[in-house]
Amino acid sequence: MPTVSVKWQKKVFDGIEIDITLPAYVFKAQLYDLTGVPPERQKIMVKGGLLKDDADWSAIGVKDGQKLMMMGTADEIVKAPEKAIVFAEDLPEEALATNLGYSAGLVNLGNTCYMNSTVQCLKSVPELKSALSNYSLAARSTDVDQTSHMLTVATRELFGELDRSVNAVSPTQFWMVLRKKYPQFSQLQNGIYMQQDAEECWTQLLYTLSQSLKAPTSSEDPDAVKALFGVNLRSRLHCQESGEESSETESVYSLKCHISHEVNHLHEGLKHGLKGELEKTSPTLGRTALYLKDSLIDSLPRYLTVQFVRFFWKRETNQKAKILRKVDYPLELDIFDLCSEDLRKKLEAPRQKLRDEEGKKLGLQTSAKSGSKDSDVKMTDAEASSNGSGESSTVNQQEGASSGKETHMTGIYDLVAVLTHKGRSADSGHYVAWVKQESGKWIQYDDDNPSMQREEDITKLSGGGDWHMAYIIMYKARFVSM
Amino acid sequence: MADSDLKKYLSDILSVLALTMSAEGERESLGYRLIGTEGDIGSWGHEYVRNLAGEIAQEYTKRQSEEAPIDDLMELVQQIVAFHMKHNAETEAVDLLMDVEDLDLLLEHVDKTNFKRTCNYLTSAAKYLPGPDDMLVLDISYMIYMKFEEYPNALQIALFLDNTQYVKQVFTSCADLLRKKQFCYMIARHGITFDLDDEMVADDDDREALQDIVNNTKLSEGYLTLARDIEVMEAKTPEDIYKAHLLDGRASSGASVDSARQNLAATFVNAFVNAGFGQDKLMTVPSDSTTGSSGNWLFKNKEHGKTSAAASLGMIQLWDVDSGLSQLDKYFHSNDNPIIAGALLGVGIVNCGIKNDCDPALALLGDYIDKEDSSVRIGAIMGLGISYAGSQNDQIRSKLSPILNDAKAPLDVIAFASLSLGMIYVGSCNEEVAQSIIFALMDRSEAELGDALTRFLPLGLGLLYLGKQESVEATAEVSKTFNEKIRKYCDMTLLSCAYAGTGNVLKVQDLLAQCGEHLEKGDIHQGPAVLGLAMVAMSEELGIDMEIRSLERMLQYGEQNIRRAVPLALGLLCISNPKVTVMDTLSRLSHDTDSEVAMAAIISLGLIGAGTNNARIAGMLRNLSSYYYKDASLLFCVRIAQGLVHMGKGLLTLSPFHSERFLLSPTALAGIVTLLHACLDMKPIILGKYHYVLYFLVLAMQPRMMLTVDENLKPLSVPVRVGQAVDVVGQAGRPKTITGFQTHSTPVLLAAGERAELATDKYIPLSPILEGFIILKENPDYREE
Repeated sequence: MPTVSVKWQKKVFDGIEIDITLPAYVFKAQLYDLTGVPPERQKIMVKGGLLKDDADWSAIGVKDGQKLMMMGTADEIVKAPEKAIVFAEDLPEEALATNLGYSAGLVNLGNTCYMNSTVQCLKSVPELKSALSNYSLAARSTDVDQTSHMLTVATRELFGELDRSVNAVSPTQFWMVLRKKYPQFSQLQNGIYMQQDAEECWTQLLYTLSQSLKAPTSSEDPDAVKALFGVNLRSRLHCQESGEESSETESVYSLKCHISHEVNHLHEGLKHGLKGELEKTSPTLGRTALYLKDSLIDSLPRYLTVQFVRFFWKRETNQKAKILRKVDYPLELDIFDLCSEDLRKKLEAPRQKLRDEEGKKLGLQTSAKSGSKDSDVKMTDAEASSNGSGESSTVNQQEGASSGKETHMTGIYDLVAVLTHKGRSADSGHYVAWVKQESGKWIQYDDDNPSMQREEDITKLSGGGDWHMAYIIMYKARFVSM
Repeated sequence: MADSDLKKYLSDILSVLALTMSAEGERESLGYRLIGTEGDIGSWGHEYVRNLAGEIAQEYTKRQSEEAPIDDLMELVQQIVAFHMKHNAETEAVDLLMDVEDLDLLLEHVDKTNFKRTCNYLTSAAKYLPGPDDMLVLDISYMIYMKFEEYPNALQIALFLDNTQYVKQVFTSCADLLRKKQFCYMIARHGITFDLDDEMVADDDDREALQDIVNNTKLSEGYLTLARDIEVMEAKTPEDIYKAHLLDGRASSGASVDSARQNLAATFVNAFVNAGFGQDKLMTVPSDSTTGSSGNWLFKNKEHGKTSAAASLGMIQLWDVDSGLSQLDKYFHSNDNPIIAGALLGVGIVNCGIKNDCDPALALLGDYIDKEDSSVRIGAIMGLGISYAGSQNDQIRSKLSPILNDAKAPLDVIAFASLSLGMIYVGSCNEEVAQSIIFALMDRSEAELGDALTRFLPLGLGLLYLGKQESVEATAEVSKTFNEKIRKYCDMTLLSCAYAGTGNVLKVQDLLAQCGEHLEKGDIHQGPAVLGLAMVAMSEELGIDMEIRSLERMLQYGEQNIRRAVPLALGLLCISNPKVTVMDTLSRLSHDTDSEVAMAAIISLGLIGAGTNNARIAGMLRNLSSYYYKDASLLFCVRIAQGLVHMGKGLLTLSPFHSERFLLSPTALAGIVTLLHACLDMKPIILGKYHYVLYFLVLAMQPRMMLTVDENLKPLSVPVRVGQAVDVVGQAGRPKTITGFQTHSTPVLLAAGERAELATDKYIPLSPILEGFIILKENPDYREE
């Protein structure tokens, strides 16, 4: 009887006797004892072939001392997972879109980048989206005309389509309706539609939406758009000649950032924009006189829109020329000192709370200092509670019905969208939207091509060259719950 | 003047004077010398001898054309050669002998002091000689090396000449067992199949030990020794390679759903990066009983992707046959065809370059060749091709050949069968295999000839003649009768394969001429022509530089189908050798508007950086991954390239050249060329369902290490100097062979163009070429200081 050695994995089993009169299966059973691999899983390699169970040893011609190799394990056989894995390639387009983390771009229909970028910026306001989705023909108030209604519906449809699709959406319907409602956008030049001022588009669109979304039936949201974007200004008019003073309030959808030689920063520009001169008939003087207007913010919106007044009408060239001056804007804007006295008082407590929370996050509130700090907090607390009654009423009004803990404005805003312009005049060049996603990532929507951007690149859009520069920026209010 | 001593003396003097006085081309110095005294030639000085040698060369060609006798000249040549050899002017002696076509004379005149320089000059001159002179020159240097018992060098030349007789002679001439072991390591690195017989090694046990070395059975062990020494055993995940965190969140948009394409890329990256380490974090993680997490990654690949995933296990276990087979075993019992196909391919990959008496690959794969499912068949066929590349195994031929001429076999099976046969019989010029492939090509229908996979048929044919020059001619004639759709493609492939690595200038011109034509759309033969340029020119540095320049021209003036092949050609020329200029060109092309050019450039960036961990290429690829994050195909290529750059965590090379760039491993070249041909049309092959052709690269994968072992073949750490290699051909004395060196202790990694030398006298290396496994012998004369 020949003896062979069998190599299995890294082990070698020497001196295994083979009874050549018995079939090979017996040999496999021998190996089963040694290795624990069941015979049906054993693969024994003999001279470039596998040993069959019923093989005849004499035919194979096994020699004494020959080396055999065995492959096989007692491992579990791989099984496909119960739940089939879903691959991105198999998903329908809608699922992919949600998976992508940002929505699709918009096709440029020929100088429509002003519209595309406006739509992309406004789309980033989820409250506007939900307000639109509640809008229906039935709820339409009678004073909304047909074209406004159509534009509102077209906006709703476009927002929906953008969320669902992966590839760029063509806003044909929206554009048509927009031009119908605002014929100034159908200006032609050499047979093609002209580039327009994005700010105009933004304002008009927002105006239309505010009109049509002013649902008289629903009591909770008297004016959804105004609640979101409206800024109440209280202005003090002062006539230097007569010394008379009057005050008025107005509501605007955006603050202006005037750019002059002294303005290097958004904050300065805003301050500048809130001061103005106007000529008005003075009742005491009986003629027109110069009045100084000094405005302060009286109530804060959830979304603060700031327009950089970069364009001015240049008579020589007959076009809206652009101021290229660099005006920095922060990712986090505090407009506390632009607020009126009343508003400031209301903001005090939430701001303190916010600071405390941030301090806690940074681990600044060490136990050693806590003693002195406590008294500070108490003092502000006392202050806050003294005028607490007045505060909750106005702020809550904007909040809508929020149950349990109430959230409060803090006067601090985070940058969420930037609409930039590149070029030398408002009616030419290129408009691009830069929008912060819920995930915190910035997406640049250059018409049909969305691409990711870094946060630090967003602040580089402040102008001072021929690169994209911010034209309209939108901030979102930061709330604290108390 | 009458014959007299005086006349002879006068002639001598005239001869010397003619050195400066005679008119150009008169050869008076030689003329007077011939009628002179024939006394000591050296007494007139070196300049005289040198001048005489020049005139002899001229006279020789003249007399050859007139068929006049040359005996008197040869006598003079004898004297001059003897003089030169004695006076450290070996190069001049060799030059003269080459001019008068009588190199055999050298054998008489070389001695212990000058044979090394002589042979060095001869072998490096051989690269620039036309055939068959180059063979003759190498023959002579082989004989000289044998004469002085410099067997490792002799073996090198024998391997270069692919002359088994010479290899045997080296073994029979050498009596020292230890040295024979070193020879075996050299043969193993070259990757040819070589069986020792009792004539070469008498003792049975010794022969077995030596055969084990030739069979590369210890390669895995050595490689892991290196990995442990360098401390890179820790498995790397694809994310470790992508380094997405350096890309400021631009690339990864946090996809929560698995993308089959990206998972497939991760599979390949994982396979390449952890190749040969035996562990990784996707495939070999211990499966927990409930979910089986190792199965999990497998099933994160879709359909044919599972083939590559299962086969990647083979890549991870590369060269370690025993554990590789046992790990792959579980896939054999799957009921999913792509998984079985992957397991078969995996077996082939594990066995790549490793031979075993039991022939496990053949035993396991043999039965699957004729299965129903074509993916399983391809898996088995490709596995056999990879594991038996270069073996010329008749048993496999008898199994694969019938497939080629089976009318019912699908085209893809036939294509892969042709490729595998080409690899198994690489450079063999085997008639029967050639016939089968030719018939298979003739049987193809018009539609089939248009298929992208059909290109593997001519390629299989070409591989049979890899580097065999004229031997291809008969087959090339036959190929002219093929259908015109494939005729030119076949022609170019045959030409480029046959002259691969020869540096033959005439063939370069032929191929360039083909590339110069501006063709109608649809003609595809210029792709292989461009690749052919690189294949022919890749053998030596000068040729490479010239080729890079002419490829630059083609980029500017060539048609699109040429531009697509140029990056691949660059990749081949500088494989695993990241030259900055080439890197820049490829980086530029990777942003090309033609996505096929960009894809080829990206893959080539991976090829030139393969196994180098080159930080610059890694950075480029990282940026490309964010640039192309939306284009799935390009991103896939970027991922593959990233995997290649970090191949084997930087311990591997894809270069088919080894032994100081002297030898070209045919199987390695076959693997690379196959991949490049597949890359000529990415969409249907690599981006389609045949992505596993990427595994053909395994044929070229070799550790770029220098591992010293003691007489018992156990690793032994000694100090070595590693530095940039210096060309010392034709330099007098004992010049430094490396520059800018650093001292390390073995095992060490050698980058392209680097050379190592021992920094201690305590040991003597048994081979002068310090690459791969080196056996060290203790120096008996060593004195501890």
